[in-house]
Amino acid sequence: MANVAKKVSWSGRDRDEEDEPPAAGEATPLLNGAGPGAAGGPPHSRPITHLPFLRLGKLSSVDLDDDVRELETEATNQFPSEIPHNEKLLSLKYESLDYDNCENQLFLEEERRINHTAFRTVEIKRWVICAMIGILTGLVACFIDIVVEKLAGLKFRVVKDNIDKFTEKGGLSFSLLLWAILNSSVVMVGSVIVAFIEPVAAGSGIPQIKCYLNGVKVPHVVRLKTLVIKVCGVILSVVGGLAVGKEGPMIHSGAVIAAGISQGRSTSLKRDFKIFEYFRRDTEKRDFVSAGAAAGVSAAFGAPVGGVLFSLEEGASFWNQFLTWRIFFASMISTFTLNSILSFYHGNPWDLSSPGLINFGRFDSEKLGYTFQEIPIFIVMGVVGGILGAIFNALNYWLTMFRIRYIHRPCLQVIEAMLVAAVTAAVGFVMIYCSSDCQPLQGDSVAYPLQLFCADGEYNSMATAFFNTPEKSVVSLFHNPPGSYNPMTLGMFTLMYFFLACWTYGLTVSAGVFIPSLLIGAAWGRLFGISLAYLTSGAIWADPGKYALMGAAAQLGGIVRMTLSLTVIMMEATGNVTYGFPIMLALMTAKIVGDYFVEGLYDMHIQLQSVPFLHWEAPVTSHSLTAREVMSAPVTCLRRIEKVGTVVDILSDTSSNHNGFPVVESSPDPTQVAGLRGLILRSQLIVLLKHKVFVERANLTLVQRRLKLKDFRDAYPRFPPIQSIHVSQDERECMMDLTEFMNPSPYTVPQEASLPRVFKLFRALGLRHLVVVDNHNEVVGLVTRKDLARYRLGKEGLEELSLAQT
Amino acid sequence: MGLAARLLLLLLALSAGQGLGSGRRPPPQSGPEGWALGGGRRLLSLELLEEAEDLSLALLGMGLPGALPPECRELLVGFANSSVRLTGCLVRSARPVRLCQSCYRHFQSVTEQLENITRAVGNSSESNCAKSLLMSDRVQLVVILSQFFNSTWEKANCANCLKNNSEGLSNSTIEFLNLFNTTLMCFEHNFQGQAISVVPSNHTEVCRKCNQTYRNLNALYNKMQKMTEQGSEHRTHLCIDVEDAMNITRRLWSRTFNCSVPCSDTVPVIAVSSFILFLPVIFYLSSFLHSKQKKRILILPKRIQSNASLVNIQEKYS
Repeated sequence: MANVAKKVSWSGRDRDEEDEPPAAGEATPLLNGAGPGAAGGPPHSRPITHLPFLRLGKLSSVDLDDDVRELETEATNQFPSEIPHNEKLLSLKYESLDYDNCENQLFLEEERRINHTAFRTVEIKRWVICAMIGILTGLVACFIDIVVEKLAGLKFRVVKDNIDKFTEKGGLSFSLLLWAILNSSVVMVGSVIVAFIEPVAAGSGIPQIKCYLNGVKVPHVVRLKTLVIKVCGVILSVVGGLAVGKEGPMIHSGAVIAAGISQGRSTSLKRDFKIFEYFRRDTEKRDFVSAGAAAGVSAAFGAPVGGVLFSLEEGASFWNQFLTWRIFFASMISTFTLNSILSFYHGNPWDLSSPGLINFGRFDSEKLGYTFQEIPIFIVMGVVGGILGAIFNALNYWLTMFRIRYIHRPCLQVIEAMLVAAVTAAVGFVMIYCSSDCQPLQGDSVAYPLQLFCADGEYNSMATAFFNTPEKSVVSLFHNPPGSYNPMTLGMFTLMYFFLACWTYGLTVSAGVFIPSLLIGAAWGRLFGISLAYLTSGAIWADPGKYALMGAAAQLGGIVRMTLSLTVIMMEATGNVTYGFPIMLALMTAKIVGDYFVEGLYDMHIQLQSVPFLHWEAPVTSHSLTAREVMSAPVTCLRRIEKVGTVVDILSDTSSNHNGFPVVESSPDPTQVAGLRGLILRSQLIVLLKHKVFVERANLTLVQRRLKLKDFRDAYPRFPPIQSIHVSQDERECMMDLTEFMNPSPYTVPQEASLPRVFKLFRALGLRHLVVVDNHNEVVGLVTRKDLARYRLGKEGLEELSLAQT
Repeated sequence: MGLAARLLLLLLALSAGQGLGSGRRPPPQSGPEGWALGGGRRLLSLELLEEAEDLSLALLGMGLPGALPPECRELLVGFANSSVRLTGCLVRSARPVRLCQSCYRHFQSVTEQLENITRAVGNSSESNCAKSLLMSDRVQLVVILSQFFNSTWEKANCANCLKNNSEGLSNSTIEFLNLFNTTLMCFEHNFQGQAISVVPSNHTEVCRKCNQTYRNLNALYNKMQKMTEQGSEHRTHLCIDVEDAMNITRRLWSRTFNCSVPCSDTVPVIAVSSFILFLPVIFYLSSFLHSKQKKRILILPKRIQSNASLVNIQEKYS
């Protein structure tokens, strides 16, 4: 979250990479660069005051410094360069989370004060929060489900009546127009709220949550406003008839709910319930967010174990048994809540038959069992799914790139979404119009039977696929008896829906890709099953529903490339454990085949958003790189007892919006070795400045309240920007003692450590800053997330990404 | 002693082919009916033979404790007779489907018989008919049969077109069936003139003349469907008689007579849809040409030997 007013954007720049004015660089040869002077000085600083206390940057040796200076002058010559957006960038917008606890004296004091029973209360609170996450996520899922059902039902009834009317009299083009206009106006509302109010609510939200769990602070991603926009947006886009599902956004919604509840307050609503104050830091919040994501998955698919595994797969570097158990608890509560509320709603209160938003229906193992001979067929289907998924992702990649480059204005994005909605309706209508596949009506098998040109008492089979919410279409593809669809219908449907879904993903509407993928896969899978039965002339009696399921799994695997969690989700959604093996095979093959061509959809979008995402391990060929080459240098350091003016100047320097500052020993003699003493964060400094914790003031007013950890927590997570803090001229001359507040034991590595080693430490501990020191414990450089994330294994070996302002 | 005498008597009866054994029982109801319908002596003798066989088997071990008491046997026979009648009725009215209208009385009597058996639980503990008839063996034939009847009845959803107390057809069903008959009459009447023509199309006369009745029938059917839907959350079927009647009519109307010819206006539909499909093309082209491409400002990181490291990488992989 940007804690700062827009213009400041002290986002994630933890080191010196501002454009260095050459004058400053040259004027201060022996001091650390980053002179705030020439490049638009901070409001409070006068030019004269700079020189005396230009920050005591620590340069280990003179030769090193020369190096730096040369480089800097070079750099400034070619600066600023503008390039079109591409995938080899890292955005400055994203910061790290402070997953690592800051063990300063305040923290230690508080922990010492808390006795054993109090810790137990904290533990109980954690469980209570998890239960609440589950319940609320379930309720939100219910709300979405019911509203979508009502609104979509209304829409389909209106359009159906209209079509029925015009089929007799003629003038079906009006029905087409009505359908298209209804769709695009609903989508317009959904797109407007996303584009103009909260752009981060666009898409499925899974990439964003993945980033959050990876330790990247995506701005606004877990705000209440995002939740509201997400929920409304997903309802509108599903009702608007886009080729989207409501399952992916549930994961994001669950995560937001978790982040909100665990804090016991809402900054947007300005309400503080004064509960759960202990959890107001990134460490705890992130754990709850993973529980929320799991609860979301479990509500979406009725798959509690799948939800837990999803969180495990996405955020697994910080994991322990107790957390897993709590997450599982939240998932179970979530699916149970959804189940009980929905069964009440559907009028059979004690039945508990709808565990998820999408219900794949029952797959009886007797009727739909599989044999040994079919296993190779499933693998072949996995290959097909992988190839189709790769095509899907490649097409979507080009489209997304085009969108980022050219369609970046909100009004254009809204227009695009409306056009897609209209085209979806038009394509659906034309397909239904041209189809001559009529099936006899059988009671309740079809929700909105369209007769169109069929004989009385029959319905158009293409209409069951297009003229329905995607969830219902999936279920009917799985379960309608053999012969409900003819191969031509399925083929056309697959083709059209493939392109529609590919086109739709990445629009500025909140919508998921799970259901469209399942639908595409189910359609071609069913086609596959039918043709198999036809080719072998019944030798393998194939129930097409089974192949539809396998096709759906393969297609989904080919697009999103999740493995473990997806297998379990599919298994739980079908409620049939025996299908685990073929589903696993299909998913595995799809992933292997797909990875051969392009990445998974979510990873691709993360990359296109220029997020500094850390993968499981450092790139395999990066052993030759050492920390010295990876780190940023020189570092802006603070002295243990630092002048307020210096701190204010450093913080308000817009060009070097760093977040962490190594604290070094304050010695009057600049030539003396100044060893590393600790690390202090920008947020802490701001709180200190706000409360005016100066040495002089402490002496003046003896009764002054000591700063507690609570003061830091109250400011979390939106710390005020430095501009909002007023420091008078007199105060600038005061001194600040950082000893109490800094983290006295930051993690450090020597300069010779290899990149994989640094990476491992960084990833496993969830660090934000890793100080690189030399033999004398002097600060040489600082490694942050972006330093590590920029190395990537590309097509021609190791690539280095560039940093860019976005 | 008495038992032996009865057995002897039975053997006599068997050999004579006469219904002597039936003297001590109420005359089987199927007997006279079979006589009347079949009119053959052979049938009668066959039935009698069966019954005698029954009796012989039943009497075997009559005196033993745990044998089927006579009152239970009576109940069993009652059930047998009513189920025979119901089965016959069901099969006879299978096509065209007239299940509910013609068999509801039989179904009711089967239900009553079964109730008699189950209700007999309380009256005497030693002759516990329900126990001995319904759950004393593995097959439990009475249960199977009654389950079959019930499930058939439910599948046909006959309750939907009967009055609440199952006393008779509901008013709407009667109305529907009347209208259905009128429609069929109309079809038949108007079709006669063209019956010789083999070409299935151009039954314009039928279409014109019966249009109103057909529409009424359709409307009534839809109304009935709506009414059932209101009652329950899920879509439910009407009873099979009504559904089947409607299906027959519809098939005749749109397949055989080819009366429902929807207006197809392909040209406007194609025009409108191609217009809609064309819009995105314009949109993308114009945004490609007119929208300013978004540029990213590169920021050069500050590091010690970024040149060296790049060289390093390039060396390694070149």
